[in-house]
Amino acid sequence: MSYRDYVVAAYAVFALILLWDLVVPKLQLRAALRAARQRASRSATRKPPTELQR
Amino acid sequence: MNSPAKNPLVRWFHQLGSPPYFDRFAARWSPWAYVLAVMAMGIGLYGALFLVPADYQQGDSFRILYIHVPSAWMSMAIFALMAVYAAIALIWRIKLCEILAMACAPIGAAFTLITLATGSIWGKPMWGTWWDWDPRLTTELILLFLYLGVIGLYAAIDDRRNAARAAGFLAIVGVALLPVIRWSVVWWNSLHQGQTIRLFGESSMDASMVAPLVWMIVGTKLWFIGSLLARARADNLRREAGKDWVNTLVGASR
Repeated sequence: MSYRDYVVAAYAVFALILLWDLVVPKLQLRAALRAARQRASRSATRKPPTELQR
Repeated sequence: MNSPAKNPLVRWFHQLGSPPYFDRFAARWSPWAYVLAVMAMGIGLYGALFLVPADYQQGDSFRILYIHVPSAWMSMAIFALMAVYAAIALIWRIKLCEILAMACAPIGAAFTLITLATGSIWGKPMWGTWWDWDPRLTTELILLFLYLGVIGLYAAIDDRRNAARAAGFLAIVGVALLPVIRWSVVWWNSLHQGQTIRLFGESSMDASMVAPLVWMIVGTKLWFIGSLLARARADNLRREAGKDWVNTLVGASR
């Protein structure tokens, strides 16, 4: 194959950038779900206010 | 005439605007879009690298075209779609369209970066230089800066809705660049070659070389759908944090 190094480099750039585009939303989704889970558990463990605290 | 509630297509469209409905829709279809994209691009790449004959002038370097051209088309198509979503969001205040517009930006930036990098790699052996301030290359670089501007503006403002509106304006204004990119090789004396592949009319590319390009065009479009749904789903969940449906969702997935 002529210009093999250039062809390999171009296809590697394509694969790497698409891999980044695949991984980033998955990490964002995981972070959003984790934050929502922590928020839900915080609100579940929060004690209701008593008369003296009011 | 059917009322919107009775027409199933219109009803589905209205339902899609609901954050919990969109979450279920994106969670279901994003992986399928990715799988179909990988299959289409797999067929396209196999054809591009192993089946298509080498070009009589450019040798095997012309095989870079099979990733460069679909990425270049995506870089412009995604910007146009982003502007359409942004306009709908600004006019009708549809929150999901804000989310979809902002989810377009990083994917479009990725395809623009691929276009510039692969073009540069091809340019070195063919033109003898990695870069030239040619009208097509320069306008494509400005497109990347516009994408980065939209991403930066959306990230810089704390209020998500105001941030999406400000970035949406930039997306709408930036559409003016698209015809300049498209016709830059016609309007100016350009080092970049003119139009080779035409959707309508005869292409100057040999028919034996076209099939892998079609697979790659389909594959990149499917990839975009998968990535758009995944990114929009994450942003939708971030914005809806604390709502009952999100609490139910994370409770169910715990």
